[in-house]
Amino acid sequence: MTHTLQNSAVTHPADPRQALKWLAFGALALLLVLVPEGLSAYWLRVATTAAIYTLAAASLSLLYARLGLVSLAQVALVGVGGWVSLRVAHSGHWPFELSLLAGGIVAGLAGMLVGLPALRLRGLYLALITLMAAAGFNVLITAVQFPNGGEGLRGFNPAGGTLMVRPWLGQSDIGMFRYCVIVAGMGFLLIEWHRRSRPGRAWALIRKGEACAMAAGINVSLYKSWAFCLAGFLAGIAGALLAASLGTLDARSFPASESIMLAALSIVGGAYSFLGAIITGVLYRVFPAFLDNLGMAGDLSYVIFGIALLHTLIIAPQGIAGQLLTQWQHWRARR
Amino acid sequence: MIELDNLSVWFGGVQALKSISVTIDAPLVGIIGPNGAGKTTLLNVLSGFVTPRTGTLRAFGSDLGVLAPHLRARWGLRRSFQRELVVEDLSVLDNIRAMLDALPGSRTEKRRQLDDVLDFTGLIDQANTLGARLNGFERRRVELAKTLAGQPRIVLLDEPGGGLSGDEMAELQRIVLGIGPRFSATTLMIDHDVELIASTCVNTLVLDFGTLIAYGPTAQVLQAPRVKAAYLGDEELQ
Repeated sequence: MTHTLQNSAVTHPADPRQALKWLAFGALALLLVLVPEGLSAYWLRVATTAAIYTLAAASLSLLYARLGLVSLAQVALVGVGGWVSLRVAHSGHWPFELSLLAGGIVAGLAGMLVGLPALRLRGLYLALITLMAAAGFNVLITAVQFPNGGEGLRGFNPAGGTLMVRPWLGQSDIGMFRYCVIVAGMGFLLIEWHRRSRPGRAWALIRKGEACAMAAGINVSLYKSWAFCLAGFLAGIAGALLAASLGTLDARSFPASESIMLAALSIVGGAYSFLGAIITGVLYRVFPAFLDNLGMAGDLSYVIFGIALLHTLIIAPQGIAGQLLTQWQHWRARR
Repeated sequence: MIELDNLSVWFGGVQALKSISVTIDAPLVGIIGPNGAGKTTLLNVLSGFVTPRTGTLRAFGSDLGVLAPHLRARWGLRRSFQRELVVEDLSVLDNIRAMLDALPGSRTEKRRQLDDVLDFTGLIDQANTLGARLNGFERRRVELAKTLAGQPRIVLLDEPGGGLSGDEMAELQRIVLGIGPRFSATTLMIDHDVELIASTCVNTLVLDFGTLIAYGPTAQVLQAPRVKAAYLGDEELQ
């Protein structure tokens, strides 16, 4: 009799990462319920921005881990999403989710545009092109400013404006934190769904070699563009959440250097798992605030991050999340 | 039937293929020739990775020459590479499933095709194993399974026997011989192991410095003085 798989349930390959992934989701759920209750208003705001940047870090890791492509424009795309969502929110009494989606979609299209050179370039050249796009956004946003309820297309009032309306569930700071964690969790699920289905397989083959992907009938340009679009969409969603949680955005918060910092921290945190994205969000937002709180200059974090990056590149290419995973495997092996 | 007419390829000032014209109508054809003869270039032209300067390429009535590489794959032209390209973080099943993603067909039908190639290449038990955990021969078989999934019409194999042991070579031979009867595909295989070619291929095509020097029944071709000269040098023969 021919041995077939038809009657046997084919499960996903046994992967120790699965356990860690569920652990990360468990931790996320715990954060959602417990943590905000014990936090001061200051730390709650810090935790909210950390949750938001977790999504931006996941968007960056999506390109890096799935396709081996580096984008240094993700924080700029957060800005694009923020601008569009503020513009939509100030143009009428729409539900917040409409501004959120609009920010995501426009940033997705912008991400696809930024990623166009990726159809021909990779490595350092692609990184430089995306960095130029981030610098271009910084020049543009400094001139245009973020909408604050003013008149005209720009919607900017130099004399001061109104704050963006928050989502119905996020009226309080605790509610906003939970809303951001839920949306970030949904973003993670969207990435995971892609990874496990057709785009994930196509991306894996493209990463292995474009010839290998083409020989499998994969339209390489389409799937690369789709990855940049999805990454842009998630960064844009992060931008909309940031705009809602702060009420307004400041053009000075989006220099190109922030995109480099987030990319570097994604490598330190670990680009290959969601736990890594969470660690990146915490490092990017909580760690500097922690130093500030201790009375040390927040900029000291740049020095520490530099050392951490060196350490990661030499000792742990899979980042802190990778190290934790290895420890977890050792612990399980000992049991 | 694969028809090549006047195919020429240039890399800068070097002519890699010189006006190749041949009609291939055997189910299993070997491609041999010394290093640098243009064997892989010919496969690259067939699969669309190299654009010829002159000539046309038709197969089973379709003008393949005008199709982009990924569209040729969807048409049914499959190839393996000298270097195996199994994705480490995908399971064997997903590595092969990726070949079917771009093709039409129901989930059940694709599942049946996956089972069929896994069974044929002896990979049923490794279906859920990650690519990173496979040994060299298992990786080779995944590469073969990838070329056979999704009703291929032409299968191009670039040195599938490189670095295999005697037992593994026998298993490879079984697989290669079974491709025609089981999948109804025409197979073109490059290999340096003339014994493998002689024991499997009905016809053989010989290239030397980009020129087609012989094409015909394998036994006959391998005895041709010009082929021996290409492999051993003229002096050896005299």
